[in-house]
Amino acid sequence: MPDLTCRLAVAGRVALAAFGGYAVAALSAALMALVLPFSRAEAVSTGTLASFAILAAVVIWVFAARTLARAALSLGLLAALLAGALWLAGAFTTAGAA
Amino acid sequence: MAWLHTWSGLVVGWVLFAIFVTGTASYYRTDISRWMQPELTETATDPVAAATRAGAYLGRVMPDALGWSVKLPTAEDPAVEVFWWKDQDGPYHRALLDPATGERSKARDTKGGDFLYRFHFELSLPPLWGRWIVSVCAMILLVSLISGVVTHRRIFADFFTFRRDRSAQRGWLDAHNVVGVLALPFHLMIVYTGLVTLAPMLMPWGVQAAYRHDGLRYYTEAGLMPQMRAPAGRPGTLLPLGEIVSRAIAAAGETPETLWVTMPGDAAATVTAIFEEAPGLAHLHPQIAYAGDTGTEYARTGHVGAATRTGAVMIGLHEAHFAAAPLRLLFFLCGTMGAATVASGLVLWTVARAPKGASPAGLGLRLVRILNLGTITGLPTGLAAYFLANRLLPVDLADRADWEVRGFFAAWALAAVASALYPPARAWPVALGVAAVAVLAIPVTDILTVGQARFLGFDAAMLVLGVLLALGARIAARRPRTLRAPGTSIPRTAEA
Amino acid sequence: MTIAALVLNLLLSFSSFAALALSLDRHHRGTFDVPLPRGRSRGLRAAGWSGLILSFTVAVACAGWSFGPVQWTGGLTGAGLAVVALISYRPTWLRAAALAALPLAAVALPFALAG
Repeated sequence: MPDLTCRLAVAGRVALAAFGGYAVAALSAALMALVLPFSRAEAVSTGTLASFAILAAVVIWVFAARTLARAALSLGLLAALLAGALWLAGAFTTAGAA
Repeated sequence: MAWLHTWSGLVVGWVLFAIFVTGTASYYRTDISRWMQPELTETATDPVAAATRAGAYLGRVMPDALGWSVKLPTAEDPAVEVFWWKDQDGPYHRALLDPATGERSKARDTKGGDFLYRFHFELSLPPLWGRWIVSVCAMILLVSLISGVVTHRRIFADFFTFRRDRSAQRGWLDAHNVVGVLALPFHLMIVYTGLVTLAPMLMPWGVQAAYRHDGLRYYTEAGLMPQMRAPAGRPGTLLPLGEIVSRAIAAAGETPETLWVTMPGDAAATVTAIFEEAPGLAHLHPQIAYAGDTGTEYARTGHVGAATRTGAVMIGLHEAHFAAAPLRLLFFLCGTMGAATVASGLVLWTVARAPKGASPAGLGLRLVRILNLGTITGLPTGLAAYFLANRLLPVDLADRADWEVRGFFAAWALAAVASALYPPARAWPVALGVAAVAVLAIPVTDILTVGQARFLGFDAAMLVLGVLLALGARIAARRPRTLRAPGTSIPRTAEA
Repeated sequence: MTIAALVLNLLLSFSSFAALALSLDRHHRGTFDVPLPRGRSRGLRAAGWSGLILSFTVAVACAGWSFGPVQWTGGLTGAGLAVVALISYRPTWLRAAALAALPLAAVALPFALAG
């Protein structure tokens, strides 16, 4: 079992879980901070508190997925969707959100 | 999922064990600090006069500081602890003042319980490094807990099961399951809330997205901090700090816990009075900010919304400041079970992979065994050395506090190296025995050198810990015989 | 959050966990040396779960909605540990201990509610 492809697949999952998981969690924290219908501070608090649950869920999901490619593809799609929503919410414009 | 649980637990297990042990000890941080400074007597001093004297001291050592902080004396903790710093990134200078004179305290120099508390989330590394490493370990623990629950299919059927009469592997697996599952609510709570305490560093992106470069505004809008003032850029004179304390007592009806002075030499200096947590679970310190030159109140913390309050409750649950003695004992027990879960998991890993018959142990197995021994028995030995150094080093030794810490690390390293050299069959009983003797030496040394009645509780706790370690050594010495008992082997793949 | 309330919680959770443990054949055999009769399991299980619910109610009544659940959860862990220790080292004592805990809980109740 411990041949090279197997090891590479494991390393790939670890990397995807760590970096992909953090990216999705960070994007959702930022998105929630901007779009939740609470006061600004409350939206930020909610997004930040929830982000760790999102991170854990993504990591578990990456390790439970049938193949690495499938996990990477859906995670990429999710991150792209979140980034798109953030762009629509005005996170990337230079005029301050204040 | 079983694979994920086993390996994620192994890679961070040793660090997690140290985090659990020092964190659990931190429930008694103030008690440890008091034990480590027997010269501080229990007399309560007037906080107003103490604040003025502390301000005078700080004005002499660093009048142009960026900030000072003064922890006022209370009946439980009579010392005045001051910090001062010129730069947000440190160094943060610290001193303990005698509340009656306002000069440096004559009490022995020590980091006390704060050393264990900071080690719990910084591992004695540069703060940013330490916190990130601890956070990564915590995140892996969270994943490990979830995958452990998924792996452990018969979680309810095995809820009360500890088969110590079967094989060693079965016994360790049961022990790991029992301490892990019985305290599972605590484990999940403590790891999630631990991540939340470090959220500003780990997950700044919400604040970043909503507030851009004005991150401090989040804290004022959320009701966590009062509004701050910009520096005036010209020198001003600061009122005596006792004056601010009097005003704070009049305004809030209670004595503030801490004063926080920003830019004490500036005309726009601010003195913030930080009060104790309001009764309840939430870690929320009400604050009132006063103008340093006139003493007029110009801001205070406002309403805290539901989400922010939830976060504060999480941090409150993690620190358990609200817990009175009996509940605190239960938190302590749960923390101990957390450490036991990690330790039993680490041992289980080696037991499940122990070579059958005469085949020699592989390099990986030997390495894990040595690291297990060095951490699980080495850390208690190091802690014992830390407390013993506090009693045995000369009181006026230069850099005394640092020498205590060096004693901690030196003893830990020595114990770890020594346990790697013991013959493998005897390593556990010998290493646990060494730790037991070191811990049992603490109450003896304390009674011989200081011998105050108010420390009997601490000494009794150390006695109990030492006896438990000695019992562990005895059980470990007995184990090989039960291992060889016939008919007890089970397939090594089972559920491990 | 008095000592009495916490002790009451521990006692109730201990009895409930003991009932739940005895509703499992393995532990029933260990304690009584006889296999579990069919009908008994359901009764013990019902008693155990109602005991846990009662202990939660008492915790909230004594300590309120913020501290109560925290105290209850901590009590569960402590009581569970005691049940496991008894089952592993003194299984024959479990029944007597669980029954003895109930009158003690009744004694602790007025102190807990007054505190």
